[in-house]
Amino acid sequence: MSFRRFLIKRTAIAALLTLIAVSIIFATLRMLPADPFSGLVASGALTPEQVAEVRAMYGLDEPIYVQYVKYIQNLFTFNFGVSLTQQRPVSEIITPALLNTLVLLLPALVVTAIISSLAGMYAGWNRGSWFEQSSIVATTVFRSVPNFVTGIFLLIIFSYGLGWLPAFGMRSPLANPSGYLDTYLSWNFLKHYTLPFTVTVLYYSGDFLMLARNSVVERMGSEFLMLHRAKGLSEMEQLGRAGRNSLLPLVTYFALRTGMLFQGVVTLEVVFAWPGIGRALVQAILNQDYPTVQAAVFIMAVAVIVMNLVADVAYAKLDPTVDAGDV
Amino acid sequence: MSLLEVNNLKITYQTAEEDVHAVNDVSFSIGEQDNYGLVGESGCGKSTIAKTILGLLDDNGEVEAGSVRFKDRDLVDLSEKEWQDVRWEEIAYIPQSAMDSLDPVMTVGSQIRQAIRKHRDDSKSKADERVAEVFEIVGLDPARTSDYPHEFSGGMRQRVTIAMALALDPDLIIADEPTTGLDVIVQDKIINKLLEIQDEVDSSMLLITHDVGVVAETCDEVSVLYGGKVMEQGATYDVFKHPTNPYTMGLQNSFPEVDEFDKQAISIPGSLPELTEEPTGCVFRNRCPFSTEECADGHPPLIANGGQMSACYHHDEAEDMREAATDAETWGIDVAEDRETSGDTGDVILETTDLEKWFKQTQSIMDSFRGAEPDYVKAVNGVDLTVREGEILGVAGESGCGKSTLGEVIAALQPRTGGDIQIDGTSVDDLLAESTKKFRSQVQFIFQDPFDSLNPRQRVKDAVAEPLKIQGHDKETIDRRVRETISDVGLNPPEKYLDRRPAQLSGGERQRVAIAQALVLEPKLLICDEPASMLDVSLKANILNILREMADKRDIGIVYISHDLASLTQIANRLAVMYLGEVIEIGKTREVVRNSKHPYAASLLAASPKTDPSIDRQRVLLPGEPPNPVNLPEGCNFAPRCPKASEECRKADPDRSAFKDGNHEAACYLPVEDVEDELLSSYARQERPEIQSGEEETIEQLGEEA
Ligand SMILES: Nc1ncnc2c1ncn2[C@@H]1O[C@H](COP(=O)(O)OP(=O)(O)O)[C@@H](O)[C@H]1O
Ligand code: SF4
Ligand code: SF4
Ligand SMILES: [Mg+2]
Repeated sequence: MSFRRFLIKRTAIAALLTLIAVSIIFATLRMLPADPFSGLVASGALTPEQVAEVRAMYGLDEPIYVQYVKYIQNLFTFNFGVSLTQQRPVSEIITPALLNTLVLLLPALVVTAIISSLAGMYAGWNRGSWFEQSSIVATTVFRSVPNFVTGIFLLIIFSYGLGWLPAFGMRSPLANPSGYLDTYLSWNFLKHYTLPFTVTVLYYSGDFLMLARNSVVERMGSEFLMLHRAKGLSEMEQLGRAGRNSLLPLVTYFALRTGMLFQGVVTLEVVFAWPGIGRALVQAILNQDYPTVQAAVFIMAVAVIVMNLVADVAYAKLDPTVDAGDV
Repeated sequence: MSLLEVNNLKITYQTAEEDVHAVNDVSFSIGEQDNYGLVGESGCGKSTIAKTILGLLDDNGEVEAGSVRFKDRDLVDLSEKEWQDVRWEEIAYIPQSAMDSLDPVMTVGSQIRQAIRKHRDDSKSKADERVAEVFEIVGLDPARTSDYPHEFSGGMRQRVTIAMALALDPDLIIADEPTTGLDVIVQDKIINKLLEIQDEVDSSMLLITHDVGVVAETCDEVSVLYGGKVMEQGATYDVFKHPTNPYTMGLQNSFPEVDEFDKQAISIPGSLPELTEEPTGCVFRNRCPFSTEECADGHPPLIANGGQMSACYHHDEAEDMREAATDAETWGIDVAEDRETSGDTGDVILETTDLEKWFKQTQSIMDSFRGAEPDYVKAVNGVDLTVREGEILGVAGESGCGKSTLGEVIAALQPRTGGDIQIDGTSVDDLLAESTKKFRSQVQFIFQDPFDSLNPRQRVKDAVAEPLKIQGHDKETIDRRVRETISDVGLNPPEKYLDRRPAQLSGGERQRVAIAQALVLEPKLLICDEPASMLDVSLKANILNILREMADKRDIGIVYISHDLASLTQIANRLAVMYLGEVIEIGKTREVVRNSKHPYAASLLAASPKTDPSIDRQRVLLPGEPPNPVNLPEGCNFAPRCPKASEECRKADPDRSAFKDGNHEAACYLPVEDVEDELLSSYARQERPEIQSGEEETIEQLGEEA
C-alpha cells in the first residue's frame, strides 16, 4: 500500500475517533441532572419564563438530536459558542489559556525528550557505571512522585525559602504586557516560567531515560554493532548507530506523550497558579459552563488523537521494515 | 614471508564461576593470497581466535600469552585508536549471520560507503562508485544499493557483507561461518563467489567453519581445532585425504556423503571437555576411541607426521586408526543390522490427498472493499503422501519450500485449507472431533530446537511424564513407561537423568528428552521437523539412530523433515523433494539420490560440498532464487530457473506422475538422464553469470511470506 493511502486511512480513523470522543462528552454533559439555569430558578434570581428565554437563546430547548448535530458542526468548525457564565465567546477564554499551557509544556517536553534520551543512551552504553545507576534512581524518583508534590517542594525551597523565584502566576500582578511577544519574552515571565518548566522536565525525564537506556542495552550485543566496530567506527560513532536504532520507540513515545500532554496539567497549573487550559477547565466545571468545558475537553481529545496519528506516521517513516500497509 | 602469524596464543574468558580457557597455545600462519581454514565443532575456540585477530574480543576475554603478528606488527597490544585504522583497511570481516549483521535502519549502500569514508577521504560520489563496483563483483544489482537489508534474502545479504569486506581491498578477510544457515544451493553459489573473488583480488582469507566439506573445497591449508587446541594442521589435501589425528577422522566421518548408503554415519560419543583449566592430558581423550593411559600425560605436542602435523601420541598408528574410524562401532554406536528396511513396512498409517495450505496475504482495505480476490501464499499446494508403519519418509527442500508447514498441517497444529488427511484410515477431522487427546496420543511432533521445547524448570521425569498425565494414566504405569522411554532414547541408566533439569543436559541429551516426550505415548505417527539441525555434527548420528530404531522396533511411521540431505539419505526409506509447496520428486531414497529425475532435485543433491579433497565437484550455479510463492509461474514452477526448460514446460504444470517408474515419480516433462551432461555442464558454462533479473520481485515476496 502506498504511503498516501496509508495516511488517508489513518486520518479517517483519527477523525472517527474524534467524533466518538466528542459524542461522549456531549452525552455525559447532557446526562447531568441539572443545567446551570435551573440553579438560577431555584435561587429565585430568574423567573421560569426568563429561563426559558435564555435556554432558547443557547438552543437548549431544541430536541436533543438537533442540539447534537449543531454541537458537532460547531465543534468541527472550531465554533465553540459563548460562555454561559462569562458572557463572552468561549474561544476568547480558551485560546490564551491553551497558548499559556503549550508555551509551558511543549518546550519542556522537547527538552526532556532530547536531554533524557541522550543521557539514557549514554547510560545504556556504559552499563553498570556510576552514571547509569544514579541517573536511573534520580529520574525514577521524579517519575513516581506526583508533579504537584515536586512542585510544592521546589516552591518551598526556591520561592519561600531562598526567595529567588516567584511562587505564583505567569507574571507579576503589576505587569501589563501587550501582545504575545511582550508576554512571553520578558525577564519577568522567565522567572515565573522556571519552576513549572523544571518540574515538567524532571517529571518526564524518567520515561525517556529508561526507554533510551533499555533500547541501547538491547542492541549492545547485536551482530550489526559488532560489524560496525569491525569496520573501524569509533566508540561514539557506534553509540550513534545504537542510538539511531533506538530512535523508533523514542519518537513513538514522544508523540504519544505529547498527545497525553494535558495529563496532570490540572494539578500543575493549580499549584503554580498558571493561567492555562487546565485551570480554565476546572473553573468551567465549577461554574457548569458547558460550552467552555466542551471546548477544553475537545481540544485535549483532539490532541491525543492527532498525536497518535503522528506517532503512527513517524513509525512508518522511521522503520524501513514497517510496510505502511501493515500498520 | 607470511601475512599473519599467530604464535602460541592463549585466551581465557573470566566468568562469574570459573575461567574458561577457550584457546590454548594455538599457532598457525597465513601466507599472502592464501585461503586458510579453521575447522572444528562449536566451542572449540574458532570465533575467539577470529575476534582476537580483529581486536573484538569480548570484554571478559583476555589474551594471556602469545602474539598475533600481522605484517610484522603485533596486534595484541594495539590501542583502540590504533585498531580503528587496522580494521577494515587491512583486515575485513564477513560475519556469520548476515541476517543480523547489517544495520536494519541504514541502506546497504550507505553501510558500505560508511566503511569506505571512515578510512578514505573520498567524496560521497566516489565512494558510491566503489559501492556499485563491489556490488557488481559479488553479483548484486548496483541499482539496489539504496535498499534496506530486510529487502534482501539471506543469500543476498551474505553477498552484501562480502561486498562490504571487499570495499577497501583489505589484505586479509576473516569469514566466520559465512555459509552456515544458508541452503546448500545458496551456499554453493556463495562459495563459488568467494573463490572467484580470491582469484581476482589479492587478499588472503581466513575461513572459519564447522563444515568439513566447505573447508575441503575452499582452503589451501587448515587447522583442525578441538577444545582450544590444534589437533591437526597442514595442507587441506593431506589433512582430509589422510587424516592422522583421531579427532579429524571423527569429525570428517560425521559428515556422510549424500550418496553413501553403505556407510553408517558416525558420531563422537560424549561431550566437549570443560575448559575450566588448561588441559592436563590430551583434550580429546574422554571421547577418543583410541586413547590409552599415555594420553593422560599432558596434551600431545604437535609433530610432523607425513605432510601434516598432528597432536596425538599414537600418530604412528594413524593408518590403522583411519581404517577403524570409518566403522561406527569404533565410536560406540550400535549398528542396526538391517538398515535397508525396504520391503517390510506395514500398513499405511498416513495418507494425504491433495493437501493444501494457503495463507491469505494481507490486503489493503480498498481492495477488500472492492471484493478483489486476495493473493495467497501457496505454502502447501496439492501434496499427496503416504507413510507406512515402520517407514521413515524424508521430506527435503530449501527454506521456504513449505516443508515445515506441511508437517504442522499433518499434525493438525495448523488447519489445512484443502484436501484430506487420513491417519490409519480415519480422517483427521473425525479423529479430532472424537477426541483431541486421542489424536495427540497417536500423532506426535518433535520441534527443531531442543532449547525451546523443554520447560527449564521441569525435571526430566516430569517433562516426559506430562503427556501421560494429560492422558490420565495411573502413577505406576507412568513411572514404568517414563523409565522405559528414557532408556529407549539412549539415556542410560535412566536413574542418572530422571531428576535433572534441562540446564544440566547437553544439547544432544536435551533433544533426546524431547524425543522421549514424543514417544512416551507410543504414537503411530511421528513428525520431526529438523530435529538434529541445532546439534553439532558429531551428535547428529545418534539422534538419527534412535529414530531409525524406533521406526523399526515400535513400527512407528515417521515423517522426517530436513534441509540436510545427508541425514535424510541416512535415515529415510523414501524421500520426497519439495519445491514451492509441491512434492516434485518422490521415491525410494536410493532411487531418488542415485537416479534423480527432476532437475531441481538433481541440483539440490549435487550441491552438498564433499569432504574428500580429491574430488573436484562442479558447483551448482542454479540461476535465480526460488520465485514468488504468491504468483506462481505458468506451467512448471521450476521453469524460470530450469536449465532444461522448453516451450512445453511453460504451458502446463507437469503432474507428479509425469515421470513414473514403479514408485519413483517426478513432476517433470523432460526427466534427467545424465546429471553431468544435462545440468552440471550448463552450470559450468554459467561460471561467470550474474545479476539475475527477477530477483527483486522474488525477495519482496519472500519478505511478506514471513
Ligand atoms: N564471552 C564469553 N564468556 C565466557 N566464555 C566464552 C565467551 N565467549 C566464548 N566463550 C567460551 O569459549 C569457548 C570457545 O568459544 P568460541 O570461540 O565461540 O568457539 P567456536 O567459535 O569454535 O564455536 C567456548 O567454551 C565458549 O563457551
Ligand atoms: S593422544 Fe590419545 S586421546 Fe589424544 S587423540 Fe591421540 S589417541 Fe586420542
Ligand atoms: S518440466 Fe521442464 S521446466 Fe519443469 S523441471 Fe522438467 S524440464 Fe524443467
Ligand atoms: Mg563460532
